[in-house]
Amino acid sequence: MSESTIKRKKSNSISDPRYACAVGASHTVVGIKGAVPIANCSPGCQLKQTAFLTFENGFQGSIYAGAGNMPSANSTENDIVFGGIKTLDQLIKSTLKVFDGDLYVVLTGCVGGLIGDDVSTLVRNYRDLGYPIVSVDTAGFKGNNLFGHEEVVNAIVDQFVGDYKGERKKGLVNLWFETPYYNQNWRGDYQEIARILRGAGFEVNVLFGPENNGVVDWLRIPEAQFNLVISPWVGVRNAEHLEQKYGQPFLHIPEIPIGAEATAAFIRKVVEFAGIDKEQSEKFIKEENQIYYYYLEHFSEFFAEYWFGMPSEFAITADSAYTLAYTKFLVDQIGLIPRKAIISDDPPQKFRKGIEDAFHNISEGVDVEVEFEEDGYLIEKSIKEVKFSSGKPLILASSWEINIANEKNALLFEITPPSSETLIINRSFVGYKGALNLLEKIYSASVGGK
Amino acid sequence: MAKTNINLNMTSVENREYRLGTIIGWDGKASDLIKESAYDERSAKKHGGCASKGSGCKLCELSSPLNQETMCSNAIVQCQVGNLTDCALIDHSPIGCSGENSKFNLSMHNGLRRRGKPLQNTLNISTNLKEKDMVFGASEKLRQTILDAKERFNPKAIFIGMACATAIIGEDIDSIAEEMEPEVGVPIIPLHCEGFRSKHWSTGFDVAFHGVLRQIVERRPTKKQNDLINIVALWGSDYFSEMLAPLGLRVNYLLDTASFEEIRQASEAVATATFCDTLGGYMATALEESFGVPQIDAPQPYGIKGTDAWLRAIAKVVGKEKEAEEYIESEHKRIAPKLAELREFFKGKNGIVMTGSAYAHGLISVLSELGIGHDAALVFHHDPVYDGGGEHQDTLKELVETYGDIPHYTVSKTRAFQLPQLLKRAKTDFLLIRHPGLASVAGHLGFPTLTMGDEHIPVGYQGILRIGEMLKGVISRTKFNQVLKRNVKLPYSDWWLSQDDPFYLTHHPEALEDLPEPRNLKLGIGQKKVSESA
Repeated sequence: MSESTIKRKKSNSISDPRYACAVGASHTVVGIKGAVPIANCSPGCQLKQTAFLTFENGFQGSIYAGAGNMPSANSTENDIVFGGIKTLDQLIKSTLKVFDGDLYVVLTGCVGGLIGDDVSTLVRNYRDLGYPIVSVDTAGFKGNNLFGHEEVVNAIVDQFVGDYKGERKKGLVNLWFETPYYNQNWRGDYQEIARILRGAGFEVNVLFGPENNGVVDWLRIPEAQFNLVISPWVGVRNAEHLEQKYGQPFLHIPEIPIGAEATAAFIRKVVEFAGIDKEQSEKFIKEENQIYYYYLEHFSEFFAEYWFGMPSEFAITADSAYTLAYTKFLVDQIGLIPRKAIISDDPPQKFRKGIEDAFHNISEGVDVEVEFEEDGYLIEKSIKEVKFSSGKPLILASSWEINIANEKNALLFEITPPSSETLIINRSFVGYKGALNLLEKIYSASVGGK
Repeated sequence: MAKTNINLNMTSVENREYRLGTIIGWDGKASDLIKESAYDERSAKKHGGCASKGSGCKLCELSSPLNQETMCSNAIVQCQVGNLTDCALIDHSPIGCSGENSKFNLSMHNGLRRRGKPLQNTLNISTNLKEKDMVFGASEKLRQTILDAKERFNPKAIFIGMACATAIIGEDIDSIAEEMEPEVGVPIIPLHCEGFRSKHWSTGFDVAFHGVLRQIVERRPTKKQNDLINIVALWGSDYFSEMLAPLGLRVNYLLDTASFEEIRQASEAVATATFCDTLGGYMATALEESFGVPQIDAPQPYGIKGTDAWLRAIAKVVGKEKEAEEYIESEHKRIAPKLAELREFFKGKNGIVMTGSAYAHGLISVLSELGIGHDAALVFHHDPVYDGGGEHQDTLKELVETYGDIPHYTVSKTRAFQLPQLLKRAKTDFLLIRHPGLASVAGHLGFPTLTMGDEHIPVGYQGILRIGEMLKGVISRTKFNQVLKRNVKLPYSDWWLSQDDPFYLTHHPEALEDLPEPRNLKLGIGQKKVSESA
């Protein structure tokens, strides 16, 4: 075949994918303690999402009704031909009988979406009987797992949390932050950000992860003074919805703070917005600074004197949140040279300009031209084309980039799914503690001569 | 063979449940399942004989209202033809269907390392379909992606995997493949592997084999390679070479990590064998029926007796009986002292195997050789007959006749919620598991597990010793699982945990009419439970 016959226009194809599909938002449900996802989809759908979001993502593992425990309709040809409502009804009944859940979330995938089963009516009937159960349309062709995550949050708010007429409590904040499982350090990151907000004087309503108290926290959502969204775009749609539903204001901070300077600025922004007393937050910042710089001073000796080579340039590709946060820290606080930044999570168009601006203003004297690309083939090609000038570069990416890193004699640091050479239990690279962990992680690899 | 069972003229494969009578739910004594399966009658039919009309034609199957996260045929196709070194696989689907590709890339890396091949990523590409494609059709996108695959990978062949969504909207992948093939210049192979199609994922193996048999394996080989044997396998370590070298044979592994050329030459081989009759039966039978490459009709190569018989059957085909006998004798002698030592260690120990069916039969043989008791076993499906239907391929019968009956033999497709009951009624010190989703639940119940990531570990004489050594480490990990059991709660209700029958919901459908009182923290009804314990 001659080269000329190949169409050159940008196609829809994706190789080496970096996100899952909407039905993978079952993992948003697993992120809430005591909640049980009910997958109304084909066999294989959930195993694929679990493989991508938990296994091939730092081998995080799952909990409670996640992974192999997850109820699933495993639709058959029969369901396609005659409708899958009866199968789903049996699945819901047996789940209510066999599982011990505080909340059940029915996620419908491609099959249910295409054959037109009336899932919401079936689920509403159970809700009318008093069961805490909601349904959400998460057909894989409607969007990726981040879209699905926002759909699930809104569905729980509308169908479970419901209306609220009471007061709002000053100083109580709902934390809308990383996407459970997808952002591989989410468990540790939620803990660090919650710790920081508490230290600054807030009462924090943690909706996902180790410090979530289950659905009781979701029922408190309307009581909060405001919603805090820390992400370039994921969760903004939820905050807008909550504003509309409960008249609850929200503060959107696109950048996850890393390091003492960024975190102090973050705290001041949130305190200012909430209008709470500044005394405690300033005291907390001071204490945290003392600890942070105690460590950083020690580190500075290594940084100044280690003479066997360290990375000075880096390329990065991950979702919007991690790409922005890590780039900012490495550029603005450490002084590494950004050679390539590619965002792979397909942010909605209306957020892209804002994200680009954040990269343009990332640090004094540094302007990063960020790219948006979801096709792994093109991402890898773009990284391959970077001519690093000297020494061993740092590539912060996924395990799809293992071979490129080898070719370029670079240090590969996995930060995004798939990550198959990293085991994550309790890890965070954000806030005060996380920044030091990140330095430890990067430079351990470089002293290891890897 | 008098009769052809596999029709390579069709692009699609008849599902296992129709072709073999595969079931995914059954519970009882293994010896009863052997009787009900009526292998001999089914085998006679496969060979064109006239079977008597008996109960053997339909096997009773236990269905379950509750199913859980599991695998599909589409994923199996990805882990087969998606793991070739120089052929590309298109997932014609929304992006979620490609979610496991990164895991299969890890498998590919491991497989390449084990087989001493250069490291590379899988050649995967998705049409990445959206909502409007569901309405207007996705054929144009498929054509574009075929061109992209050619441009990106310059592959020797391009496979197209059908998904649930594309099957429902009626995508005609056969026509597009045929239409594009001349322009692209390499075989374009449509695979009908949508996830809802078959009740068991193993149909996906047959679909993948069917595609390569139709469009890659050489139809008219110009030569015969008399020292080449096909081994239908996955990514396992190359233990077959050391077992077959004494018979003067080289191994041609199919399909994972294979190249186009390695698949093409399958019809030049002297015979086909496999590590698992469930997996390899279709390929081996079609190679025999349509390409004249005989399949090995023998027990599987697990345990001493099985390995002896397997080697002898191969030796007979290649005329190396004398060499085989010498090798068998020397291997028996070689492993005897170590085996005696291991048997002493495992005295009084029991184990449960939970894997696909024929592979489970192999693993249980190995446990038996080590003197480990097996009161119970769980297989994810039961094929009452395999495609070959050979006299010596009735793996379950072979197992029970050699090593004794299994009182609690359960067929159930990855239903983790049944583990509390399954583990309550049988003695065990550990579990041997393949496929994700069950090991962690067994772990919560206090039992250590060995996940068989390298499926060739138990193969042959040395396999018995390898498993024995690994199990020592596994049993030691019981301490970790006891910590878990003492401190972490499973998601199941007290009512369910108090049941003894894993198929209670099947045997008592009326139970679903008696739902528990709603517990709703929003409405303030019922006891607050989960959050308290968390």
